[in-house]
Amino acid sequence: MLENLFVGTTDWLRSLLGGIGFLPTEIAESIVLVVKLVAVLVFILVNALWLVYMERKVAAFMQARIGPNRVGPWGLLQTTADIGKLISKEIIIPKKADKVVFLLAPVLIFMPPLMVFAVLPIGKNMAALDLNIGVFYLLAIASLSTLFFFMGGWASNNKYSLLGAMRTVAQMVSYELPLVLSLLGVIMIVGSLNLSDIIAAQEHTWLIFTQPIAFLIFFIAAVAETNRCPFDLVEGESEIINGPYTEYGGMGFAMFFLAEYANIMVVCAMATIMFLGGWHAPFGLTFIPSWVWFFIKMYVLIFIVMQFRWTYPRIRVDQLMGFGWKVLVPLSLANIFVTGIGMYIYRAIGW
Amino acid sequence: MLRTQEYILNFGPQHPATHGVFQVILTLDGERIVKAEPVCGYLHRGIEKLAEARTYTQVIPYTDRMDYLAAMLQNWGYVQAVEKLMGIEVPERAEYLRIISGELSRLTSHVLATGVYALDVGGFTGFLLCFREREKMMDLLEELTGSRMTTSYARIGGVADDVTEGWLDKLDKLMDEMPGYIEEYNGLITGNEIFQARTKFIGKLTPETSINYSLSGPVLRASGVNYDLRKAKPYGIYDRFDFEVPLGTNGDCFDRFYCRVLEMEQSVRIIKQAIEQIKEVDGPIIAKVPKVLKPPKGEVYQEIESSKGIIGYYIVSDGTNKPYRMHVRRPSFINLGYLDEMLRGYLVADVVAILGSIDIVLGEVDC
Amino acid sequence: MFGKGLVKGLQITWKEFWAPKLTVEYPDKQHPMPERFHGKFVLDVDKCIACGLCVNACPNRVISLNKQKVGKKQYLTDYKMDIQYCLFCGLCVESCNKGAIHFTQDFNMNQYFYKNIPLVLVRREAPAEPLEEPATGGEEKPKPKPKPKPQAPKEEKVAEPAPPAAESEAAAGKEGQ
Repeated sequence: MLENLFVGTTDWLRSLLGGIGFLPTEIAESIVLVVKLVAVLVFILVNALWLVYMERKVAAFMQARIGPNRVGPWGLLQTTADIGKLISKEIIIPKKADKVVFLLAPVLIFMPPLMVFAVLPIGKNMAALDLNIGVFYLLAIASLSTLFFFMGGWASNNKYSLLGAMRTVAQMVSYELPLVLSLLGVIMIVGSLNLSDIIAAQEHTWLIFTQPIAFLIFFIAAVAETNRCPFDLVEGESEIINGPYTEYGGMGFAMFFLAEYANIMVVCAMATIMFLGGWHAPFGLTFIPSWVWFFIKMYVLIFIVMQFRWTYPRIRVDQLMGFGWKVLVPLSLANIFVTGIGMYIYRAIGW
Repeated sequence: MLRTQEYILNFGPQHPATHGVFQVILTLDGERIVKAEPVCGYLHRGIEKLAEARTYTQVIPYTDRMDYLAAMLQNWGYVQAVEKLMGIEVPERAEYLRIISGELSRLTSHVLATGVYALDVGGFTGFLLCFREREKMMDLLEELTGSRMTTSYARIGGVADDVTEGWLDKLDKLMDEMPGYIEEYNGLITGNEIFQARTKFIGKLTPETSINYSLSGPVLRASGVNYDLRKAKPYGIYDRFDFEVPLGTNGDCFDRFYCRVLEMEQSVRIIKQAIEQIKEVDGPIIAKVPKVLKPPKGEVYQEIESSKGIIGYYIVSDGTNKPYRMHVRRPSFINLGYLDEMLRGYLVADVVAILGSIDIVLGEVDC
Repeated sequence: MFGKGLVKGLQITWKEFWAPKLTVEYPDKQHPMPERFHGKFVLDVDKCIACGLCVNACPNRVISLNKQKVGKKQYLTDYKMDIQYCLFCGLCVESCNKGAIHFTQDFNMNQYFYKNIPLVLVRREAPAEPLEEPATGGEEKPKPKPKPKPQAPKEEKVAEPAPPAAESEAAAGKEGQ
């Protein structure tokens, strides 16, 4: 019953719309699609709020503190209260800022994670849009955020913001490469760009076991892509105050802030789908619904990302670039090479 | 026409990593530093001048406010200077209490320096875990002196209060736990490869430059110069304790940081010995001094090893109950002298690492 | 091997994650304050002889004190501390020979308005004429003399204020906060 909670709801909605009779199927389908996308939107926003709270609690617990505890039970409503406060604040635009770009950046920053989530299958038959070229779309959209960070940093007309923006571009562009290259191994093995196919291929063996190095590279690059510690040079609050967000206050800042968490969720969901078997249950524990499994895996990864942040110091900008270009890229290329040879051998011996 | 140009970045005074209100005007070429111009004075309160309008006892709380992270050491340096001027003999128990509270102050300061350095290079948890132990030590200081940071514990001729019941046992227990905590810092901060990559071979200081620039404290010892006043010119009763002076080899940021960590272990050793020895020592905690202090005409310079380096007090007396002139040799300020040359050629991120490794406290820099 | 320190760090934070937490939910729970804590001041008006030693001991001239001569003895009418300038060094408490002024464990001295910051420990009217003369006569034995201070007032008599006055000044003390 629980397994088909969401699929069932969609089917019910579809039959309800079909029952009206005079609606053409195309319109009924598009209404269903809009409902799905709105559900994704709400889901991401609620999750981003929750992740902020979770991060604060995780950080506090690792630092012998108790974390937020005032608003709501165990401080659960803390982020809501924070956002409420940030919304009510004045939007300050620096005098010499490029107003249009400055205001546009925090609006657009939320777009990539929302668009990406539309294609992610978060359970059995539970992708809002089952795209044929899912992986391609995903990578293309996810790398868009760079632009919005740069917009914010450039438009602020602040030296710290500019430094942060330049770092963003350098970092995201150079880590995009190992991210894509590491996924190539997966795609080679599965032979499809469709996310549902990739998950289906992992029914018996998760790809993390056949592609462990690719997983490591992907995970590191993903952490760098989302500007998380130890690669959080973009914010680097002890060096360049807050990077591109330095001049933002109120809701502009909150958007950047929430987008960071939405991005984390996206990359962790990607890692889950590509390497951890998506919604497949391990050890045959299928009585737990598939989407619950998906979230468990995703949240384990998110926890690890958070633990990274609260454990490691920040890497320096030249070391970051060096690590990306001198270690990760060659390693991922080697991984592709080895995967190719392996596949050839397997095929030759006729497995 | 396309060309690159240098630009100026105001690093501070309101910057999270300058440890207060300190400004470095950086001339940058991209992210690389061409020139760095430190500007201090944002926290200047004129303590030296204030002292001229206060009686000798009343100056003590002001010395707290210089290096507020190791206030007891500042008090101690000051009262030693006045005692030297007046020729007061300090009772033995008072000396032990000064050693205990002074080393405890040094520990709080070094623990904070360790944690803040972790924060400077981006590790937040190291910072708060160090605060946890600092909090325990400050609770002890609070129980002894009534204040957590600005202790005002030393008095001319002795100390303000004797220990409370059971205080020494609590201290002993904490000192037993300390090596475990230091092990934890080493695991979380020192041993971390990213941390080492950030700090090793950054901001190198040769022994010659350190001596030429009159640097002192862990900054000096990290470049391999064995000069610790506690060993070189033992003041108080430091000659009764068995401890070592940790030295660095490279004189880079990592050595400066690690010297402090090692010094913490030595401080723990000293405190443990002092706790053992003070139990046999009974007697007054303050010498017999007149209520109104009127030192003879003359001048005096007395220096002790503070947590940041050598803190020296120069006092001129004109025979009245107020100092005619007081000057303080503040180690933080003098250690900053080499900052410009140290920063040149490094990246913006290294500014934070180098500045943090010098371990300045702005109350002392600006006095 | 590269990466050992990284794993060690993760182990430590993982261990800390489950370790007991040290902070408390502040306004609901509080850590106990030690006996000697330098908190808010209280003045035991019965013991105070308005000698002014604390005024002289203060490095920042925080304390201001007014007194009136009633009969033979000095009568404390005003005792105000400009607490915003206070260093909490404890020199005033140390200087007091009668143990009249001392610290409490109360550290909360927040005020919404600047004018409320000064800590008024005593504000009262001096009685028009000395009450219960005999009481002072009987107790007029010179207490251990404090060392001569430059401007210390000459009266060092122990003064037992009359009961009614004591009540009124307790009220004044309350109102002062």
